[in-house]
Amino acid sequence: MAMQLDISDIGTRENRLGSITGYVGDLQDLANQSNCGSLKGGVRCFSQSSTCLSGCALGQLSGIRDVAVIHHGPAGCSVTGAQIYTVTKQVAKKRGVVNNTVYIGTDMSEEDTIFGAGDSLHDIVVETNRRYKPKAIFVSSSCATGIIGEDIDSIVAELRDEIDVPIAAIHCEGFKSRIWASGFDLSDHAVLTTIVKEPKQKRNKINFKNFYESARDDIIALFKNFDVEPVFLYANATVEELSHISESLATVCICGTLGNYLGNGLEEKYGVPYIRTINPLGVVGFETWLREIGKVIHKETEVEQYIQAERSIYLPQIEEVKKELEGLRAVLGMGPGYTFEVSRVLQELGMEVVWAAAWHYDKRYENGDIPPAMDYLLKNTPNFEVSVADQQNFEILNILNTYKPDLYLSRHPGSTVWAIKQGYPAVYVADEYMIFGYKRTLEFAHTVLDTIRNRSFEKNLAKMVKLPYTDWWYKQKLDLFLEKTK
Amino acid sequence: MSKVTENPRGNCVLGGINAVLGAIDRACPIFHAGPGCCMQTSAGESGQAGGKTPFFVSSVSIPSSNMLEKEVVFGGENKLRSTIQGTIEVIDAKAYFVLTGCTAGIIGDDIVSVVDEFRAKGHPIYAIETPGFAGNSDYGYETVFKVFLDQIVEKGRPKQKNLVNLLGIIPNHDPFWSGNFEELTRILNKLGLEVNTFFTQHQGMDEIKNSGAAALNIIVNPWLLKDAAEQYEAEFAVPSLRIEGLPIGATDTTDFIRQIAAALDLDTVRVEAVIAEEEEEYVYNYLETAIGALSWKRFAIVGDSNMAIGLTRYLANDYSFTPLLTIITEPMFREEDKERIKNRLTSLEYAKPPQVLFESDQYHIAKALAENEEITLLIGSTNEREIGLQKDIQCSVISFPITDRLIFNRTYAGYRGSLTLTEDLYDNL
Repeated sequence: MAMQLDISDIGTRENRLGSITGYVGDLQDLANQSNCGSLKGGVRCFSQSSTCLSGCALGQLSGIRDVAVIHHGPAGCSVTGAQIYTVTKQVAKKRGVVNNTVYIGTDMSEEDTIFGAGDSLHDIVVETNRRYKPKAIFVSSSCATGIIGEDIDSIVAELRDEIDVPIAAIHCEGFKSRIWASGFDLSDHAVLTTIVKEPKQKRNKINFKNFYESARDDIIALFKNFDVEPVFLYANATVEELSHISESLATVCICGTLGNYLGNGLEEKYGVPYIRTINPLGVVGFETWLREIGKVIHKETEVEQYIQAERSIYLPQIEEVKKELEGLRAVLGMGPGYTFEVSRVLQELGMEVVWAAAWHYDKRYENGDIPPAMDYLLKNTPNFEVSVADQQNFEILNILNTYKPDLYLSRHPGSTVWAIKQGYPAVYVADEYMIFGYKRTLEFAHTVLDTIRNRSFEKNLAKMVKLPYTDWWYKQKLDLFLEKTK
Repeated sequence: MSKVTENPRGNCVLGGINAVLGAIDRACPIFHAGPGCCMQTSAGESGQAGGKTPFFVSSVSIPSSNMLEKEVVFGGENKLRSTIQGTIEVIDAKAYFVLTGCTAGIIGDDIVSVVDEFRAKGHPIYAIETPGFAGNSDYGYETVFKVFLDQIVEKGRPKQKNLVNLLGIIPNHDPFWSGNFEELTRILNKLGLEVNTFFTQHQGMDEIKNSGAAALNIIVNPWLLKDAAEQYEAEFAVPSLRIEGLPIGATDTTDFIRQIAAALDLDTVRVEAVIAEEEEEYVYNYLETAIGALSWKRFAIVGDSNMAIGLTRYLANDYSFTPLLTIITEPMFREEDKERIKNRLTSLEYAKPPQVLFESDQYHIAKALAENEEITLLIGSTNEREIGLQKDIQCSVISFPITDRLIFNRTYAGYRGSLTLTEDLYDNL
């Protein structure tokens, strides 16, 4: 299906990709149902806190250097702006650049919800532009502005005549989607439609979609072997850099959920190849990914040489640590871009995946294919139990209580906290590069070992803590509150 | 009216309410709101108040109806009903509170009726009908007290002469709330008083219910809880004493004790003995062991009024530093409150008064700090680190939002806290 790059608001993942947030079953069944088109997600009649798409959308955009993000809504929508501000500055400092991006809240009031705040939004954008001279401006809506029907598209269109930097409307009404990753697509859509320019020349660069570029130096060194340079997106990217990403040789990403929209968009609109392999986590993932890059940029020989050299250093060490990981049982709870990739890596390292929970599940990606990580698991690994839930902490704790694994892994800090309170050692896979390439896969294996070897904190804590959940709940089946949609 | 606010420091009402409820023992908020409201407000409140999260339920473990388009169009009462039913089954709480997000507020869901159905079955559940856009976190704190007073505090409890309610310190918003309560409670206990904080030492619903039996409300805050004070007096005959700013150090803490002693007619001999013990034998006993450790500073403070008053007065009155600029960051609307705060900040014992500004917008805050070239010590939030670095002066992060410190029960309040403050200023030289 062609992507709609000529409109301001894009559909949610539920509508575009058939994505779901409610499912309990196993890998085979999930894949079979996706393939034959019968997969329908369930809806919970009881739920715990989810997350809305604005965090993903505006978190991404506010990483771009020297821009302004204007969050049009009540104070609560923009209050974490201060955290984003700190992270942005710190990440920039680490890299040795200065990032003057600002995060503005419009502090919408009760009166505004009755009379509208379109005029004041216009003035706020003008004032923001005057104060900070940003290189681009992103104006976001919220639930409140969405329901009262504030027309941010028209306001932004009008402002284009007055302000000479790119300005985009971001449709972040939180009630639109259960899938916060829809926000990644919103940010990509804004970049694609307002910042990226038509290509003039090919450049020896590869677009690298990631979060906080912590492996930046390693990746620059890696790509140097093949005479290409990475352009990291979006943290610390400049608007000027972004305007040229249509001229790159290819787009790669650290997480399929994160990279899907931009990668496919750049390919469809400008013919920039999007590398769609499994992700570069673990040995198999890294090699598959790198070989595909080699193919696309015609550096197969160099890639092969690199792989052989690195293998000789790291594979013996990884084999050694695998002996100690053999047979450990793990439960995971992550976004789908990581759940199915990390499941694969754990199995590569000799561990058993007893349950994988994905925060959502995309039946297919923007180009119509089933996500590669899923495809790989079906062909190469034993079946295991799977659930799809937008966090739903009570379900995770029920799973842990039932399966009593050696380890819980999550990419959500709030989630690991509750596993630890229940007495389970947990690894917070915070850094997106934690399992990237050979060296980090080895380090990750050691982290897992360190985590399960010393369990004193979890044991002592669990003895002292009284969890909020009733004994009754721990005896229930996981899908108790899940209603099938018709 | 909407306005430009760079790096907003306050949350919406929902954030304020959730932060307060998170400190009540085994109380469970239920969000009737969009899918992002709970995470956003949790991350924006306790998440920026020194790094600890509420112990019972927080963020991912808080029930939420996660309202979507369907509820926006057709109403969300059925979704709320099933969410409450599930919560009662899954979460083992002593009380449940239903919170209203912007979405539920605008579409006009009848939350009270749904909650009443469960109340009728005997469940301890309360409706809070104030939607997110109705105000900021401070208003959320006051809203919770309104709910306490309207729905929970019990009438006709026998009066307890030595029981006081200690109010005005906002849990999970004031980064030092736990420690502040602990130190002030310690002092009040020494005076022979029992203290309701509602939020520490696993206090909660029982203490709230019994708060009408108190002899006095001690409101440690220069402006919040005006209405609550009136309601406590009118409906429960509990008078209130307002302590206009967090007492830090010997001068203000002794004054705090004397005001309470006068209001409750406490035994003077005992009171003076406590003061002597704390001031002479404790605080100054330590201070004299590190004279000159901290060199003299000209300081600026950026923070909420409670903390800013405490810090300005301690550093000027007790530690002989020079106050230059104090910026109050929480929005307030009554002129009389601003006057009271200004007065407290400028009626100092020895020093020339600082310039006082009321400003929430980081842009203007940074500008005011940049323009004053005499400042050698900046005390503010994590947001002020940058301007501190630019000015190349000492910067201590002490006020909300704090995202780069972990604070369990550290406090700068009272006698003991003033020593900790002095230590921390030295550590940060």
